[in-house]
Amino acid sequence: MTELSDDLLVAYVDGQLEQKQTSALKRVLAQDDVIARRVGTLKDAHRRLEAAFEAILAGEEADAVAQPVPQAPGLFIARETLIKGGIAAGGIVIAAGLLFAGYGWPLAAPEFAARPAAMETVGSLPADWRKEVARAQSLLSSASLEIGTDSQGNPDFIAFQLGQAIGAKLTPPDLTAQGFRFTRAQILTFDGESLAQLLYLGPSGAPLALYAKKGGNDAAQRVVRHDAITGLAWSEGGVDYFLAGESDEASLRRLAETVGSE
Amino acid sequence: MQAEDLYDSIRTGLIAMLPRLKRFADLLTGERRSGRALLGRALESMLAGEHRYQRGTALDIWAFAEIYQQWLKELRDHAGQTETDDRSFEPLFPDQSSETFDTFTAKFLSSLPPQQRLTLLLVYGERFDPVEAGQVLDVTSETVGARLVRVTASLADQLAERGPVTAG
Repeated sequence: MTELSDDLLVAYVDGQLEQKQTSALKRVLAQDDVIARRVGTLKDAHRRLEAAFEAILAGEEADAVAQPVPQAPGLFIARETLIKGGIAAGGIVIAAGLLFAGYGWPLAAPEFAARPAAMETVGSLPADWRKEVARAQSLLSSASLEIGTDSQGNPDFIAFQLGQAIGAKLTPPDLTAQGFRFTRAQILTFDGESLAQLLYLGPSGAPLALYAKKGGNDAAQRVVRHDAITGLAWSEGGVDYFLAGESDEASLRRLAETVGSE
Repeated sequence: MQAEDLYDSIRTGLIAMLPRLKRFADLLTGERRSGRALLGRALESMLAGEHRYQRGTALDIWAFAEIYQQWLKELRDHAGQTETDDRSFEPLFPDQSSETFDTFTAKFLSSLPPQQRLTLLLVYGERFDPVEAGQVLDVTSETVGARLVRVTASLADQLAERGPVTAG
């Protein structure tokens, strides 16, 4: 039997090992049932912990949707780490940040009402369209103009450009069978990292947007809602996806299946 | 960016993170009521001291660290207790009555010291790397790594002892 420490096995399960180490460990696993069982149990532990934290966050988000509080203004500070967790699972920060902005000021919620004096100093202000636009403007960079209008009909070129930009393979999914026609793609920038935006026109005339960004570990789908917009966030194959539109959740999940299968 | 805009940005950023902040505070205290109270006080402190926020710092790392420091401060001031009760902890999960609710893992998390619980949350829930998690908890990345191995291995041991039960 091979002696391998839990340090190494946990690093393997967490995906922290170099490629060569991973390959070597896989060879050991193929030959050593004891080590393979231990890895299986560590994976189970890892999966349970991720699922537990995910479930708690889902509950918090459901509460936030069920108990909206007054809207607050302001520019959203972009943070790479929001991607990692917030939208847990991944999704795309910007859209989610904009969506969650509707939650309003937390101290105005009853559960934070222990110190009413503080609430007066942070009351809500009317929304300002210029700030909303400025927030959107911050997503643009010179890269946003690299895919010209004359190239939008060339899926191979678009796939190449998007792949180069986000550092991961990304081909615009064909959603015509679901009634969504691809119209254009562009590269946005969030916190110094490239973010692909693919726009589709739906049968009702409402746009559907698929955002993709280089991501981390696979993560299950999560629903994010803001007003009439429903979003679905997940991570797969090293890419964080966020699909958003005026569709219902079931429709988005069907579309996400198509995205994931391509 | 003007100071007022920065203030707005922090405020809006915190709002966007509110579900995550709630989860962090709830898991830190081990139950919802005290978690919400802690978060409320920490948010007040953050806004009163937004000048402490340094541009270029990840807002979520800063916010989590502020909540953690607030908890530590209150623990020192009041010599508070940190033991967690299963009955208070399980309601943090939205579907305790459903068949998919993982009672075993919930009890395991409940039994951990808050710092270990947060280490797991930051790495497996927030997907921070050990350096970032260490920044929040004011420990080295090596400490974070050691906690992960110890706690994950402990859960794996308990799962192995328990045998191949898939539900509950």
